[in-house]
Amino acid sequence: MAEPNDIIHQPLRLKIMAALYAEREIGPLEFSQLKAIAQATDGNLGSHLATLEKAGFVEILKDHVGKRPRTRAALTSTGRQAFRRHVDYLRELVEGVGEA
Amino acid sequence: MDNSARKASPGRILDELRELCLTEYPVSVTLHYRALWCAWKWEASMAITRNEAAVALSDIENTARRSGMLRGYQVGGRILMMWSVIWAAGYLAMALAPAKVWAPVWMGLDVVGVAGSLWLSRGAAGHGAKALGAAWRMLGGMLSVMAFVLAAFAVLRPTDPAAFLAFPGLLIGVVYLVVGLWQAPRFAIIGAAMFVITLVGFFAFKSWLAYWMAAASLALFVSGVWLWKR
Repeated sequence: MAEPNDIIHQPLRLKIMAALYAEREIGPLEFSQLKAIAQATDGNLGSHLATLEKAGFVEILKDHVGKRPRTRAALTSTGRQAFRRHVDYLRELVEGVGEA
Repeated sequence: MDNSARKASPGRILDELRELCLTEYPVSVTLHYRALWCAWKWEASMAITRNEAAVALSDIENTARRSGMLRGYQVGGRILMMWSVIWAAGYLAMALAPAKVWAPVWMGLDVVGVAGSLWLSRGAAGHGAKALGAAWRMLGGMLSVMAFVLAAFAVLRPTDPAAFLAFPGLLIGVVYLVVGLWQAPRFAIIGAAMFVITLVGFFAFKSWLAYWMAAASLALFVSGVWLWKR
């Protein structure tokens, strides 16, 4: 049976990971886009992104577009694997896999 | 259960452990079993229930859907802004030029519109085979709509020139409305607005319909900005 991940399972972090996973082939998501998708506030999103970055699941990219600073986030390969494993765990739990 | 809240606060973890171990622990057993009991209680309190797992999966699905919808708005907004300029040019040509040049003008504008749509949506569906598939679907969709318009004119043979002006607006309005009802509410609002504006122009300002439709392109442009900025 797959393993749960306590860092990912927190509701807002789960949404952040889900959004970044859904956009993994498109490219990094801008902070404002991620905020709209995850329906989070600036402060909340920033602190949870920092937690995910510290865990090695998310990479934060900071640059400038013209003179405007831009912050983007993308999943690392570790993050992708951890998210897939966590989703597998949730599915197995819902489907009752591993139960006698 | 918010597991992270416990993780985020070491003090709270200790408080909860203390509560679990001291308040529920049967007093009569040894320290070893006391530790085991404590660990078991802690693990049980951290476990994800089936119901929580189902809610989490639903959250993941909703987030992925919202992510796709917002990406669709952003790309769709840019495409709509471009088409609004094309529509304005086409309808102004219909207002000012003789009917015999309408078809070649629209053909040229449509080629620009299709090519522009493909260019503006590049990368929106990822890369490689997935992107190629999305581009083909978009191309197929636009060519199908154009073929339908031409086929409808060929079959119905409208004698009123205003019908040529109004029909594409009505059709595109309905397409947006239907797509919006299934996928993204903002498309439905834009489609309904386009449909109503076209009908109002047809019945209230028929002799000025070409100018009306060209002016209505401004509404399309604003809709495009609304989608793009979301």
